Amino acid sequence: MSYVYTVARLRGMENHILDSAFFSRLMDSAGIDDAVKALGETSYSQWISQAGSSFDKAIDSEILATCEELKSFVPDKELLDIFRLPYDFHNVKVLLKGLFKVRGGELEGRRYDLLSKLGTIDTEELTNAIETEEYGFLPYGLTDLIPQCWQVWEAAKSAQAVELVIDHQMFRAMLKVAEDLKMPEVVNWVKARIDAENLKSAVRLARMNYDPAKALPFFHDGGTIRADDVAKLLTEPQETWSRILSYTDIGSVLSALTEQNDMKAALSDVSKALDDYLLKVLESAKYSMDSPANVLLFMLTKEAEARNMRVALVCVAGGLDREFGRRLLK
Amino acid sequence: MEHLGLSLALFGAALAAALAGIGSAIGIGVAGGAAAGVMTEDPNKFGSCLILQALPGTQGIYGLLIAFFVLNKLGLLGGAGAVALTWNQGLQILASCLPIAVVGWYSAIWQGKTSAASIQMISKKPEAMGKAIILPAMVETYAVLALLTSILMLMGVQVG
Repeated sequence: MSYVYTVARLRGMENHILDSAFFSRLMDSAGIDDAVKALGETSYSQWISQAGSSFDKAIDSEILATCEELKSFVPDKELLDIFRLPYDFHNVKVLLKGLFKVRGGELEGRRYDLLSKLGTIDTEELTNAIETEEYGFLPYGLTDLIPQCWQVWEAAKSAQAVELVIDHQMFRAMLKVAEDLKMPEVVNWVKARIDAENLKSAVRLARMNYDPAKALPFFHDGGTIRADDVAKLLTEPQETWSRILSYTDIGSVLSALTEQNDMKAALSDVSKALDDYLLKVLESAKYSMDSPANVLLFMLTKEAEARNMRVALVCVAGGLDREFGRRLLK
Repeated sequence: MEHLGLSLALFGAALAAALAGIGSAIGIGVAGGAAAGVMTEDPNKFGSCLILQALPGTQGIYGLLIAFFVLNKLGLLGGAGAVALTWNQGLQILASCLPIAVVGWYSAIWQGKTSAASIQMISKKPEAMGKAIILPAMVETYAVLALLTSILMLMGVQVG
């Protein structure tokens, strides 16, 4: 299937992506009214006027509208599913945690407001399926996953253990969708995403001085670095991780952080470096006129724009330190 | 076997016009896909896109030119009747048509891809139109060289 039209259209759409100079100006707004005025000429303005003060809803609406627009001309819709699938799994987590609370006696446990409309499964259908325990039609292995989550919950009463089970399945499903598409760049990106997620968890666990012997369940299979090998990193000093992983591309991200002596810096900085790496994995697609990976790259760029928008608006509305906010921008 | 020479020569003319034409059609199709994508977002870029989309069309014209050249050489255009050709002369004319047929076919497809990339480039940087034309025009060089080769070879073939 040819992606020449698709990529050309994306190039046109990229011209409307808001750049760092815009976010810098947005951060300098005196108040939220000024910020909303600055957004007047962007594609977010229509959603902000509809959603009122709920910026999160407006930002989600913008991403959802972009997804729908892309769906109308991208030849392989599954490419968009790779981007949207994590939101389905997020919704499953929200619904299950709500039910755990309700069954534990907290009648107000359900948090429908936390559900995201960005998933591929309609939130109402997903809610009905989980609450009525009719999972038969659910995709991405959710049919088997949800009963498994209930078993884990009954056995351990740990929401974290359930989340790990869900995350494992999410990455398995992402990898399967990517492999079925038979697009090597997309498969590589999913593997890099799993590696990045594993390394974020490793950094987090190292900071908590977590027992390395019990860490394996926190890591996902399917990346270029085996989950076992990531778990073994915890037995080594953090400064040596980049050397141990020098055989991988992601090792260079860690070595850059080690050189800046930043491995002990805020987790958000490590996370930002790894997110930048994920965009870099797809960067070669930028120079191709027909690479399907451009679809994924565009959606990730749009997601980064939405994240920046959220950071900027929260900083302006809450009167937070603008310098701190600028550091969080991607 | 009497008309084998003429048949071979006509086969050469047909190959020149058909293969170069097919290449141009594919090249223009690829560039057209990119142009449509860019214009969906910015219809004002029609002029620039049209120029870039038209570039891979020249190979088809070169193929047609060689086909006319051959038909003229064979005496089929003036109504005076075809000249007598040996199979050896027919084969020489067929061989003369091959450079533009093969190079025209391939170069038009690749020129179409380069044009598509250039169209995507002007979508982001409209001010780079000059550079955007030069890139696919480089591919044109080899189609022109093949055209010259075909013309020189045809001029060297003695008939009649």
